[in-house]
Amino acid sequence: MKLDCSGLACPEPVLQTKKALEELPNDSVLEVTVSSLASKENVIRFAQNGGFDARAQDLEEGKSLITIVKGFTCKIVIDAKDEFLDKTLFLKSDKVGEGELGSKLIVGFLKSTLELPKLPRRIICVNQAVLLTTAEESAPIMEVLKALEAKGVEIYSCGVCLEFFGVSDKLKVGKIGNAFGTIEMLFGGEGTISL
Amino acid sequence: MNNEAKLTKYVKAAGCAAKLGPGDLTEALGGLSCAHENVLVGMDTSDDASVYYLDEERALVQTVDIITPVVDDPFVYGQIAAANSLSDVFAMGGEVATAMNIVGFDGCHQPRSVLKEILAGGQNKVQECGGIIIGGHTIEAPEMTYGMSVTGFVHPKKIYRNNTPRIGDVLILTKPLGMGILTTAIKADMLENSVIEKVASILATLNHKASQIMRKYDVSACTDVTGFGLFGHASEMSFNQVTIAFEMKNIPILDEARALADMGIIPAGAYNNKSYLSSKVHAKVPHKDEIILYDAQTSGGLLIAVSQNDAPKLLKHLLDEGLTYSSIIAEILPLGEKTLLYM
Repeated sequence: MKLDCSGLACPEPVLQTKKALEELPNDSVLEVTVSSLASKENVIRFAQNGGFDARAQDLEEGKSLITIVKGFTCKIVIDAKDEFLDKTLFLKSDKVGEGELGSKLIVGFLKSTLELPKLPRRIICVNQAVLLTTAEESAPIMEVLKALEAKGVEIYSCGVCLEFFGVSDKLKVGKIGNAFGTIEMLFGGEGTISL
Repeated sequence: MNNEAKLTKYVKAAGCAAKLGPGDLTEALGGLSCAHENVLVGMDTSDDASVYYLDEERALVQTVDIITPVVDDPFVYGQIAAANSLSDVFAMGGEVATAMNIVGFDGCHQPRSVLKEILAGGQNKVQECGGIIIGGHTIEAPEMTYGMSVTGFVHPKKIYRNNTPRIGDVLILTKPLGMGILTTAIKADMLENSVIEKVASILATLNHKASQIMRKYDVSACTDVTGFGLFGHASEMSFNQVTIAFEMKNIPILDEARALADMGIIPAGAYNNKSYLSSKVHAKVPHKDEIILYDAQTSGGLLIAVSQNDAPKLLKHLLDEGLTYSSIIAEILPLGEKTLLYM
């Protein structure tokens, strides 16, 4: 949704932003255009104190575009004692490479990951990789994924993909992710590893 | 309160938040001069009022101020505008003698009865400090404004200037900050009536009593906090000769204003003040309430520089007399790299 608040004096831009955010459904993005420093700072202040992710971009002629995300965003607080690498493991398949070897490799790879001194912060499964998070309880991969989750690694499976393969009701580990969250995680963190 | 007149709805900005920024003003006034042997305080310093020498016992204090509505109740708006206009005389240590009304009346949106109430509110406050209204002038205006030209007297040797604090003095502020934010919220219909009444009562409080009290103590400088915000007026007080160190936790700020600031209800004037002063301020520890230090105040409190020895006595006296928001907020240090700092 786009909101043009150029030329409006305080507190009008904040009030319009507030109203728009209240009406918008979750997981939507609000773009507010303002034309003064005061309005820019005020709208960002309002959004951030309300727990929303907000960023401003300066446009021409003293205008600014503020992008506010309502819904899930990935905020990472890194401190010295952090036991995670700020990295995302991006899985597109339930195999590494082809065939039976591929299936073994992915289990082996993730199992070895478990032994690392610092784990990747999150694993995102898209396309056929969602078959890993929805596998049978007895499958070897399940034990590995649950161990990773128990250590605090966030695991997300793409909602569209789960539906595509008809396994939405079989998710056994992690959470269902969405496109925006995924993009945020891929671009927001320090690095992405794809297998 | 009678808020039916909706005074604040028909103006662009509320109260002192509507005034010109300090940068614009300095530039515009730069070419004017008022040098004369009888002018004790003129335009060359940023003092609150002018002082003209009459004789050994008396000097004339003159000042003028007008504001747009900050509340919707006409009588209370009149009281607040008067308190705001009279304040400069009190900041100089003077007593009010006479006042003249200056009205820009928005006859397009308001009936004549509203004008009558505004003037009654103004008279109420002038009488409270022993002055009299002796005339005035009204014009039709697209935006409502009201204020007064005020004349008072002060002893020529007992003038309190705004830029003469001594190193080692401390600063006492007598009213809480956040009024620009709160009046902006009133304009936006965001406050409950009980909060509006609390704000209005602070705004309508005269600085007369505080002024009379401070004159009994070892005070070196005084100003009232208005449109340039606490830091704007403190900057004038420092006169680029001393550094003023503020203790953030001691600065009185209304909680309601804090909450609104967090929401982003901050008038543009605060950002103008901040950008004008940015090169003069050092934050030892950044604070989320910082913007409130720049908030334009209407009818703000006195900012009094007093010796450390007398400060506790003056503070107690102010508190005992009902000026309950009074607080010691800063110390005057030798000039450092920046003239204002807070921690």
